Amino acid sequence: MKTVKKFLAVLLAAVTVFSLSACGSDPNQTTGTAPAASASSEAEKSGPDDSKNVKIGVLVSDVTSAEALAFRAYYEEYIQKQYNVTFMYSDELADAAAEASAIDNFIANNCKAIISFASADRPAQIEQCEANGVYYAVATGTLTDEQYEKFKSYKYYVGAIGPDLMTEYMAGYNMAKSFLDQGYKYFGMFGGATPYYTEMHIYRAAGMLVAMCEAGKGTYLGASDFGGMIGAIYGAGCQLAPAVIGDVELVGYVGGYDFDDAWFGKLAAVANDPKVEVLLAVGSGQTAFAGFKREGQKLGDIDCYTKDSVALMESGTLNYLAGKFSASIGPIFMATLSAVQGHPIRNAEGNAFAIGQGYWVADNAETAKEYFAVDSSKTEPAYTRAMLDTLYGASYQDFENFVKAYSFDEIKNLAK
Amino acid sequence: MKIGKRIIGTLALPLLTLLAVWLISGARGVALFETQLNLLTFIRAAANVMLVTFALAINLNSGRFDFSVGSVALLSSVISSKLALALGWGPLAMLLVSICAGALLGLISGAVYVTVKLPPIIVSLAVALFFEGLAFTITGGHGVSFANKASLLGFSTIPNFLIIIVLTLLFMIIIFDHTRFGYEYKALLSGQKVAVNTGIREIPNALLCYTIAGALMGAQGFISATTNGTIQMSLNFGSISPMFMAFLPMFIGGFIGRFSNDKLGYFLGAVCSALISLLYVRLNVSSSVQQITSALLLVGFLIYLNNEGKLKALFVRKERGV
Amino acid sequence: MENEKIIRKEQTRERLLRLAPVMGLILLFAVFMAIAVIRDINIPYSFKNIINQSVIVVVGATGAVFIYTLGSFDISLGASLCVSALLGAMAYNRSGSLLVMLLTCVGVAVLISLISSVLASVFNLPVFVTTIAMLSLLNALALVLIGANGTGDVIQVPAAAVRGINNVWVKLAVMLIYLGFCVFMFNYTKLGRHEKFQGGNPVCAKLTGLNGKRLAIAAFAIAGIGVGLGAFLTITYAPTLSRNTASSVGMDIIISIVFGGMPVSGGARSRIWSAAIGAVSMTLLNQIMLTLSLDSGIGQMVKALIFILVVFISMSNNKGNILPR
Repeated sequence: MKTVKKFLAVLLAAVTVFSLSACGSDPNQTTGTAPAASASSEAEKSGPDDSKNVKIGVLVSDVTSAEALAFRAYYEEYIQKQYNVTFMYSDELADAAAEASAIDNFIANNCKAIISFASADRPAQIEQCEANGVYYAVATGTLTDEQYEKFKSYKYYVGAIGPDLMTEYMAGYNMAKSFLDQGYKYFGMFGGATPYYTEMHIYRAAGMLVAMCEAGKGTYLGASDFGGMIGAIYGAGCQLAPAVIGDVELVGYVGGYDFDDAWFGKLAAVANDPKVEVLLAVGSGQTAFAGFKREGQKLGDIDCYTKDSVALMESGTLNYLAGKFSASIGPIFMATLSAVQGHPIRNAEGNAFAIGQGYWVADNAETAKEYFAVDSSKTEPAYTRAMLDTLYGASYQDFENFVKAYSFDEIKNLAK
Repeated sequence: MKIGKRIIGTLALPLLTLLAVWLISGARGVALFETQLNLLTFIRAAANVMLVTFALAINLNSGRFDFSVGSVALLSSVISSKLALALGWGPLAMLLVSICAGALLGLISGAVYVTVKLPPIIVSLAVALFFEGLAFTITGGHGVSFANKASLLGFSTIPNFLIIIVLTLLFMIIIFDHTRFGYEYKALLSGQKVAVNTGIREIPNALLCYTIAGALMGAQGFISATTNGTIQMSLNFGSISPMFMAFLPMFIGGFIGRFSNDKLGYFLGAVCSALISLLYVRLNVSSSVQQITSALLLVGFLIYLNNEGKLKALFVRKERGV
Repeated sequence: MENEKIIRKEQTRERLLRLAPVMGLILLFAVFMAIAVIRDINIPYSFKNIINQSVIVVVGATGAVFIYTLGSFDISLGASLCVSALLGAMAYNRSGSLLVMLLTCVGVAVLISLISSVLASVFNLPVFVTTIAMLSLLNALALVLIGANGTGDVIQVPAAAVRGINNVWVKLAVMLIYLGFCVFMFNYTKLGRHEKFQGGNPVCAKLTGLNGKRLAIAAFAIAGIGVGLGAFLTITYAPTLSRNTASSVGMDIIISIVFGGMPVSGGARSRIWSAAIGAVSMTLLNQIMLTLSLDSGIGQMVKALIFILVVFISMSNNKGNILPR
């Protein structure tokens, strides 16, 4: 027993000594100071520097989601093979503490930059990276206006590309509208993480409900426009319920991800309600409704393009898919690499960028197949190296124009 | 014990539960079994919970806590669905493969336990992590989806679930009450050291327990997968949650077992659980309320179970006017 | 002479087995250092990480040792930490005082632990099942608190408020003070001895006059202090809290305790240091896995194998002819 204690005392002392040296240890001294910006046109002409390997940490909140896997495949199976970069992935990050730990791990492993798909506490992530001289970028998401104002001038904050909350709202709105325009009036809805106050799903649900209010000339929880609907949903504690909305009806609603018998029972009950014509999902529609859907019913989902979702489109199980394409994270990678190699892309005010990017929308199997073929290609994805290289050290305007031309056809034109 | 008392003791809880949920749903103007889908939901939940309860109880009654039951269900359903999709099999073949895969995985789990001779809870933690990781690796993290395969989804019918329930119940009663294995199992349960000293071979018995538990979870994994046609991956003990649904039915089963047969008790406990589940569906109860209600029911029933004597004494004293 | 040799051999073997978790820790440390040197990792920074990442589990698991010593189990510690942290953060936002936040975290955690243990004691419930019910209740409560706070899906403490205490010194101080308290209570007081006795042989313990229920309540209270301190440290490290805060801590505590060589059945062989050894070992293992950049699934399988191997080495002294339960 005494021997054990001695061992522990020595170990603790050693750890403490090393930690004390860590307190004064500035990762910048090991990783190098941030390189100064140089003329963007020269950088663009020379392209990315492939002589030295750049390590980039990737924060992922959900490692098992189809979207996360598709993004990882693009980075690891295409980008990592095209450029001299190494991606280091975090484990599943359930909360802000896990994110902070993961960033610390990346810094310790000499990552020059971090691309974040995790949003438990973005401000803390940015602050942590800034304090340690590591570049930070937001992929597939955005900061709030307030957050952007605070961090836009941070030296190591690269920027954000992704659907902002208005884009999420419009995704839901457009999806519901596409079915309402076809004359459907009776809907079932899966609210996803809405009961957990998850903004992305709340805004998508709000979009769907506003579309129903407009078509049905009614109200839901007393609201019928964007601002009112968001307020009404929060006012109801994010617990939505079926309701008649003028001529339209939300016949059934299920929220949450319980994955127990009652949850499956509720989903089956909504899908099997003879009145329900269309099933709408703010996400995970394939998990929630696809298995319970009746013949003749329509299903719309906001998710991503996978082999399974395309198979569902082909079989007619899924009828509308608004999905992120996996190469959409190409520009943020290039902006990050550009910043690391001394050519940060800043807007006219010298601030980090915040550029919205939306979804590819397919409402038939052929379109979905076409999208997926490009999206899953390991040799010719939507954004190839040749296309991304044009963004290296690009001007803000060129960069923004490139990113904003995110529809499938626009990207095809860019490729030409 | 008189036959009347046995019957009352056996059926009291399920009937009380049925009455309670029927009254609550009626008070909200909702019929409990309005459509055939409601009956299907109820029967499916009963089958699901019954299988998990049996699987957990086999080992838990022997003092072997098993966190890995969920991961066995997950991995066996991944194996069977991958094979079924690749080879074009129907649901029956997929079910059989799932059961066999579950049995094999359970056997592996048991083999690890008897080899390393560590406390079973520790072994189950490692096995759960391993099986989750293996399922993730096999599917590349994508899980399995067959939501458009009507043939596989078509298994979810009332007659099929009833067949599963009846066959499982018969199997459990026969194997645990009418075979040598069952007698030895009970001997080991009540007096491990004495049983071993009298010559009962504990290791084969434990291995068979794990194998049967694995087979049951294989069936549960199949039911879970064919409910909605998708299998989601889990990491970092994400698969342990199904285990918690079995505790209330297990305790109900233990109570009913005093009056009749504990296997029948587990089944009736699962029925009670399924009725409550159906009530949640019919009233569209939120997740938080469900969790709170389930927790309170579990604690409440345990309080009754562990203080039955005191409550009876109190009641008798009151009757006597003391 | 022969007998003496055999006895000495057995004693040496026992000592080596008791040291196995420490040797496992040293081995993991050596592997980590080797990989760190080869991969040119920032080693001092990594040590800071290890402290940050293990300190919450160390304090939570060290307190939980008292529960495990009794042969009990608590699966709700992670959820308890989450609720304590949420209420602590709300208390800070109302009072602006870090002391109030700390007292709230500890107070709430102790209260939750006491509810579990008193319920189990008063109503003769199996402790483990009571904690399962508490897990569900606390998860639901976390969601209710977040909704009631009205700030979306998170409850936040201003980062500036905790920046001053979010450093290695404070964390080490909290950890060492609590560790010292627990070591003292466990090894040098009647409480510790009684707990080991109760865990080893409840029948004898009762016959000698020990009150098992009081011991359980005391164990849970001490564990609650650890959980509360863990909640406070969680807020200082990551002041944005959600319903998923500390979601993995519950299982991390169980794994750490087992990994550190603590016998699950409790009793006299329980070691208060198991939790600290196990928590640091698990953190080192995670660091190694991350640096090797293994696929998530494969990494988890490797972790499982290492876990069972280390625990097997540290606990493999089952000489009986019956299987452990």
